[in-house]
Amino acid sequence: MAIRVENLCFSYGERPILKNITLDISQGKFTVILGRNGSGKSTLLRLIAGLSEPDTGKITILGRDMQKLSLRERAKLIGFLPQQHRPVFPFSVEDMVLTGRASYISLMPKKQDKDKTAEALERVGIIHLKDRAFTELSGGEQQLVMVARVLAQNPEIILLDEPTSHLDLCYQSRLLSLIRELVNQGLTIIAVLHDPNIAFLYGDEFIFLKNGAIQPLENSQKPWDMQVLRHIYDTDFQSVAYGDKNLVIPLTSM
Amino acid sequence: MKHIVIITLYLILRIIPADAAPIIVTDFRGKTLSFSKPPERIVCLIESALSGIYMLGAQSRIVGISANVYNESVFSDYADMDERIRQKKIPTPGNWDFVNIESVIALQPDLVLLWSHQEESIRSLEEKGIPVFGVFIKNSDDVYREILALGALTGKDARADELIRYTKQELRRFSEKTAKGNRPKIYFMWAQGELETSGKNSTVHELIEIAGGINVCGHIEQEHLVVNIENVLTWNPDLVIMWHNTAKDPKDLLQNPMWQSVNAVKARRVYEFPNAFLCDLWTLKFQYAVKMIEKWAYPQSFEHVDLEKEKLDMLKFLYGKQPK
Amino acid sequence: MKRYILYLLPIPVLVLSVFIGPSGAVDSRQILIWLAKTIFSYHQDARINDTLIRAIIWDVRIPRILLAFLVGGALSSSGNALQSMFRNPLVCPYILGLSSGAAFGAALALATSRIPVQLSAFVFGILAVGISFFLARTKKSVSVVTMVLSGIVVSGIFTALLTIVQFMTDPFKLQTIVHWTMGNLHHAGWEKLRSSSLPIIAGMIGMFLLRWRMNVLSLGDDETRAVGLNPEIEKILILIPATLAASASVAAAGVIGLVGLVIPHTIRMMIGPDNTHSLPICFTFGGSFLLIVDNFSRTVASFEIPIGIFTTLIGGPFFIFLLKRLKVGWDI
Repeated sequence: MAIRVENLCFSYGERPILKNITLDISQGKFTVILGRNGSGKSTLLRLIAGLSEPDTGKITILGRDMQKLSLRERAKLIGFLPQQHRPVFPFSVEDMVLTGRASYISLMPKKQDKDKTAEALERVGIIHLKDRAFTELSGGEQQLVMVARVLAQNPEIILLDEPTSHLDLCYQSRLLSLIRELVNQGLTIIAVLHDPNIAFLYGDEFIFLKNGAIQPLENSQKPWDMQVLRHIYDTDFQSVAYGDKNLVIPLTSM
Repeated sequence: MKHIVIITLYLILRIIPADAAPIIVTDFRGKTLSFSKPPERIVCLIESALSGIYMLGAQSRIVGISANVYNESVFSDYADMDERIRQKKIPTPGNWDFVNIESVIALQPDLVLLWSHQEESIRSLEEKGIPVFGVFIKNSDDVYREILALGALTGKDARADELIRYTKQELRRFSEKTAKGNRPKIYFMWAQGELETSGKNSTVHELIEIAGGINVCGHIEQEHLVVNIENVLTWNPDLVIMWHNTAKDPKDLLQNPMWQSVNAVKARRVYEFPNAFLCDLWTLKFQYAVKMIEKWAYPQSFEHVDLEKEKLDMLKFLYGKQPK
Repeated sequence: MKRYILYLLPIPVLVLSVFIGPSGAVDSRQILIWLAKTIFSYHQDARINDTLIRAIIWDVRIPRILLAFLVGGALSSSGNALQSMFRNPLVCPYILGLSSGAAFGAALALATSRIPVQLSAFVFGILAVGISFFLARTKKSVSVVTMVLSGIVVSGIFTALLTIVQFMTDPFKLQTIVHWTMGNLHHAGWEKLRSSSLPIIAGMIGMFLLRWRMNVLSLGDDETRAVGLNPEIEKILILIPATLAASASVAAAGVIGLVGLVIPHTIRMMIGPDNTHSLPICFTFGGSFLLIVDNFSRTVASFEIPIGIFTTLIGGPFFIFLLKRLKVGWDI
């Protein structure tokens, strides 16, 4: 069990976002969180990453209570890729990725940190962008840089918030293949994705959120069953069989 | 018939009071003020002009003064001269900078003395029909002019002449002994800071010249300026004279490592005016400042001069003060 | 290559500044002879005015040169550090009320003549920043927008208090207060250098050690937390040395504007935003800049003109020139 969440509740002021969430996330798998906009997906991810504090509830990471972990310890266990990064200063790609090593660095980065940075850039396939200014890159390239930053952090669990949202098909498939590679190497990866098809093609396990609560599957149901998806997304689909799964296509008036 | 007309006219003329001759003075702005008789309720918001009024013996007409008269530095001198001040009974509707128009008007003055650059306050008062005499002192001629004007305004013309005569006589008495060649170089230091001094066209410059010295900043046209310490070191004054300074004493300068190469410090000829009231450069008391500088600049020539006695004599003549 | 020049820039600037002074004082030839005499014992019988030259070079110029350099460097580095901390290149060291607090402290000391001026300015500068910071704290986090707002409020309060002091004091003291605020490097001596160099150097060391962390912090609070650093603690850790150095600078030399805002930009434009290099170079370049400006202000007139005027008149156009020539390179 990589992550266990128990009775998690979170509200923004008066508005409840997450209501009594309890779930387990398996180690070494690619878990996808699916749901409509506003269902609480990103919030759940942020809480697991430790960027916000829940109102009530407990989160256990690799057997350790998250509250009891120091920031550095937690950073070595969990990495987080935000949905959007707004840069202010034109740091070079290398300097950006190097900041991912913060939990290993006391005051100044050493050669080892620079080496890990280069490794991460290679892994993601953007080593040729090393000296470019972050602000000059396209949205997709920037996203990949942030992925490299998480890899440089070298955690055991990686959380990704809508990682494919700015990427074209090429970068998208490159990133998703990379995720599969990392999972095969033993990492635990959890992503919020807006497209259920991508989720089903690449993911191992699935979590559905509706109105801030987990929607469990009944015994006989598969995640790609029409019934399930209609309920989650409040809309109707056409489905197309694909291997042992279904892909969904939105209904058009044609 | 003709005789009756002439006698009647003569009698009428005799009955009209003799002192109907109007008082006409021009203030330092160039504005002319005229009065049919001397004003009886004077609000004087300039401390140096106030001391002039005391010298003239006209203090009974004062109904309002500036707040700084009650300050430590001059309070005891005024308190000695006037019981009303000792008991802090005279109202203070303003200061060197801020004038409370309402309070001034409440005193119902028929003359107000202000600095000529206090334009807004002057305008407010003149709009309400109160005559204002504006003052601006740049040199000793202005001091004499002020005393004459104050004398005319208070009907003490004779006394004003007497005061001026006395001052000029005292200055002459001393200046005879100062050398014409070999005049010492003097650096004057205001209390605001070590590097604050005065150049040409200032009361300080004139003071130094009259006293037989050379102002090291005399070639600079500014009335008040901040100089670079390197220049002071290069000019190398023979004397340093400090205006009355509560924060610093001559010994502080003598111990300051930056000043050690200066002649004045080496020869320990650093002096401070003991009291702002006694040597106020904007009043006839500037003669005392001159005397002090002359004694410090020409110690041999003035060896037998007792500054204390000079001070007491001056105070007696100007204010009628008896030594304590 | 550019970086090496910028690191080494202070050396020629410092050396040449010794020879610069108001015309009419000693000339370069005499200085060189004096130096040869004193350091190398050459020209022992040369006829120069030893006492005067020593007084000018050692007692007057050298402390002033060193102080100008330290102050310029400290203000620039503080500006750099705070710009990273606030994630905003429009920030200067005075944003949290530091200059208003220091000016009030100085005015209070000058008006009452009972407390030492430099100490009072230093303490009140730090106090103003502390108040701004604590006013902005809510539970556990300090948002930068809230900090800026409370800085504006605190600044306003101290300015009002300063006005009260100015209003109630006599014309001579008022003049002294105004002169102090305008910038007063012309009072520099060994004493002032000694008392201000300790907090300035301590602040510089603090900022220098934290310079890589500024890179992390300037990416944002979430990004910082995600990689294992606590943004609130990092902000405090950076704020303390930056405030120490800046407050000591203002206490020693008055309120000198523009340096803390413009120099970090200039450096960023020249070598990029990586604080591991931009912070120390802000110190060397900022120090050299203020020193050059002070050299200019020392020689231009026979009387002292407050240095704050020149930093704006020279720094402003220089910065506009750079803006037009080089790429600015940030998105807000």
